[in-house]
Amino acid sequence: MSAAVRAILLDARELQSIFLRTLYWSFRGKREPGDVARQCYEVGNRSLFFLMVTMGFIGMILVFQSGLQALRVVPDLTMLGATFLEALVRDLGPSIGALMLATRVGAGIAAEIGSMVVTEQVDALRMCGVDPVDFLVVPRFVASMLMTTTLILLAGLVSFAAGGATAWFVFDVQPQTYMNLSLLDRGDVIIGLSKCLGYGAAIPIVSAWCGLTTRGGSEGVGAATTSAVVNSSLAVIFLDLLFSGAGFVIFDG
Amino acid sequence: MIEFRGIRKTFGPKTVLDGVDLSIPDGEVFFLIGASGAGKSVLIKHLIGLLKPDSGEIILDGRDVSRLDKDALYEVRRVCAMVFQHSTLFDSMTCAENVALPLRKHRGLSMREALAEARRRLETVRMEAFADRYPPELGDGMRKRVAIARALTVDPRYVLFDEPTTSLDPVSARRVDRLIRELSDNLGVTSIVVSHDLQSIFSIADRIAFLYKGRLRMVGTPAEFRASDDPIVQQFTRGLAQGPMEV
Repeated sequence: MSAAVRAILLDARELQSIFLRTLYWSFRGKREPGDVARQCYEVGNRSLFFLMVTMGFIGMILVFQSGLQALRVVPDLTMLGATFLEALVRDLGPSIGALMLATRVGAGIAAEIGSMVVTEQVDALRMCGVDPVDFLVVPRFVASMLMTTTLILLAGLVSFAAGGATAWFVFDVQPQTYMNLSLLDRGDVIIGLSKCLGYGAAIPIVSAWCGLTTRGGSEGVGAATTSAVVNSSLAVIFLDLLFSGAGFVIFDG
Repeated sequence: MIEFRGIRKTFGPKTVLDGVDLSIPDGEVFFLIGASGAGKSVLIKHLIGLLKPDSGEIILDGRDVSRLDKDALYEVRRVCAMVFQHSTLFDSMTCAENVALPLRKHRGLSMREALAEARRRLETVRMEAFADRYPPELGDGMRKRVAIARALTVDPRYVLFDEPTTSLDPVSARRVDRLIRELSDNLGVTSIVVSHDLQSIFSIADRIAFLYKGRLRMVGTPAEFRASDDPIVQQFTRGLAQGPMEV
């Protein structure tokens, strides 16, 4: 077996171990009061403005581009809001939002844990009888699942509203026409929420794995941070494909 | 009793430990010396399962530590504590909370009980006045004393000190030396100290091991080291810039 394949298999085993230990300690571990709340603040409140602004602009750009394309094919924009809302709930909101969070939250988690590894604080935790996954990963995991879902719901609303404003001012689509829920069904909502929870779980696990496997000094922390952003983004894209495929099969399109 | 038998450890192409054999009886203050990067810290981290050897055995109280699983290693870490080079206190916790953490995890005490015990432990290192302060507010010597209190909370029989006097002023360094000596004399604790501090080495060590190029070059008492005619040992223990030693 080549060294590269062996390295990939070892990485996969380490990632799986962190995931399983995170699940175990999520149910068995004892949290300090405020541990999860502190992480909710880090993941949620500190990402709120960034995500709202980004998703707002993305909503405006997507509605503008969709409107232009639709006018070329069928000069009728009555379904502009309905199609955008379906795409936003089912895929664009969770996936783009999670990619944004992967950069901010993923980098932060990897840098913090990576710094603790190179300064031997993670070894010190082990010496205190603490599993670093219980202490460092689980609060971030729980907070990320809660806050990713909450943030994406809020950012989706901002994106839809910004898209509505664009449709009104650029294409003269009235708000009551734009606010069309006819294409949205139960399957779209379930797929969208599943993606939020899946991405919220994947980002801290992948980033913590990058942080916990940091080697060397500050250069290693930098590499871990970059690696966390790249791997969290890849995880989001991979899960997007997985959830979308499963949703297509389960909800018949 | 601690025994290292034929310990070999490589990191990539670099062989750091190349067949180390060493026995340390109970109650000794044992110093591990050698040039920076010689593998001293690597060797002691094997004893508490933070590193696994490529080959060899580490026998602690009759058990081979290198073969223990994660749960069994937590048992080892109850009897064998470590004071890290940079203290490694957790910045988000007060000094009392830092000291309370092993009490809660290893002994299962409640937060209130652990904090009360932590304050008592901080008294033994004369840091009780700083119990509610955060580590970044303290100097190096104070942080080191809190780290020692944290390591001693679970009443270990073995304590590993990784360069305990590095970056300390001379007065703080001698206080740490005295604390290490008292642990052995009063409580029978076995201390393994990784150090470059010649004054510490020759004032409190019972025995010394000199690690050079991945192997033990010499093991002996301070008097035997002083009397050694090995030019490499002489260069290191006298701190000479010129000599045969390759660094």
